[in-house]
Amino acid sequence: MTPPLPSPPPPSPTSPAPASLTARLNAPARFLLGLGVLMAFAALGQALVGALHLPLPGSVVGMALLWAALGTGLVRLHWIGDAADGLLGILGLLFVPTTVGFLQFLGAGAAWGVWLLIMTAGLLLGAGAAGLLASRLLRPEGSPDHPEGRP
Amino acid sequence: MIWLTVTLLAFAGGVLAQLRVRSPLANPTLIGTLIVAALLLLTRASYGTYLRDVQPLTTLLAPAVVALAVPLYRLRALLARQWRALLLGGLSGTVIAVAADAGLAQVLRVSPEAARALLTAPATSPVALQLAPFTHAPPALAATLAVLSGLIGALILPPALSALGVTHPLARGIAIGAVAHGVGTARAREEGELTGAASSIGMGLAALSVTLLVALLA
Repeated sequence: MTPPLPSPPPPSPTSPAPASLTARLNAPARFLLGLGVLMAFAALGQALVGALHLPLPGSVVGMALLWAALGTGLVRLHWIGDAADGLLGILGLLFVPTTVGFLQFLGAGAAWGVWLLIMTAGLLLGAGAAGLLASRLLRPEGSPDHPEGRP
Repeated sequence: MIWLTVTLLAFAGGVLAQLRVRSPLANPTLIGTLIVAALLLLTRASYGTYLRDVQPLTTLLAPAVVALAVPLYRLRALLARQWRALLLGGLSGTVIAVAADAGLAQVLRVSPEAARALLTAPATSPVALQLAPFTHAPPALAATLAVLSGLIGALILPPALSALGVTHPLARGIAIGAVAHGVGTARAREEGELTGAASSIGMGLAALSVTLLVALLA
């Protein structure tokens, strides 16, 4: 007769051995592991863009490569999840150095008014068309997390 | 070091302001940019000096963009089911924005340099930078107009899409990302992970389609 309550931890069918090893890392160490993996893919994307002379940003190519690596199981989501969420949480901060660059062109003076007007019109027309077209093409489904999700 | 400190505190101030004020203008990137720009002007520090100081932030931008793969992967089943809406919506948005920028620049007699720089504004600033040799635009101006376009999009597009009756997170996200790329995606993520994921798809598609358009036209 075996007791009904198992005293040793049962072999977990959901997480294989390597997963539990990284799960034992403390949060900062796991963050650093994730950051390292993200930087590796950024560098990989950069190298690929340079070697193939692609007119694309290396980081966008790196994003596609990481997506493929997650899909094939080469990279596990829990290695990078915390680091990704952390970086994306401050994504808006990382653009400030570039946006401040408008200071280099203050000399353009009144031309800025026309530039901003054109950009605003382009944004509204493009996003308006995209939003309306996508709304029309969306397949109805009882998606779990959108407010109007009545199938 | 001092400008890195200023940038971090200015952005944190923007986040705090956003918690207090419910206005689309209470955007951390906008507030951070304005505070930093005002201090740079006051102290007569050059943009080059500033850029050297905040190098760590610029370095983190590439892994942050790579990290956009994570929400895309988490939501892959849902996104795959809606690929038609995302692909066609995103491509049409970017192409219309590029056409509108080009057409209006012609009509309003913008200087040739600015007109060429405006062409790539619907793509993320690294793309604008890399396409500058092909469009013959001043690279710094192209990158600046691109990132400012993203910032303006982050401010005006969420209320504009609501006014148009675009309520579905996927439709809102793809529309924002297709024209307002990085800063827009940061804003879209505030609405939820689904909106943010759709926006990063729009941003990736815009990088591809603007590159193709420039290759075809230049």
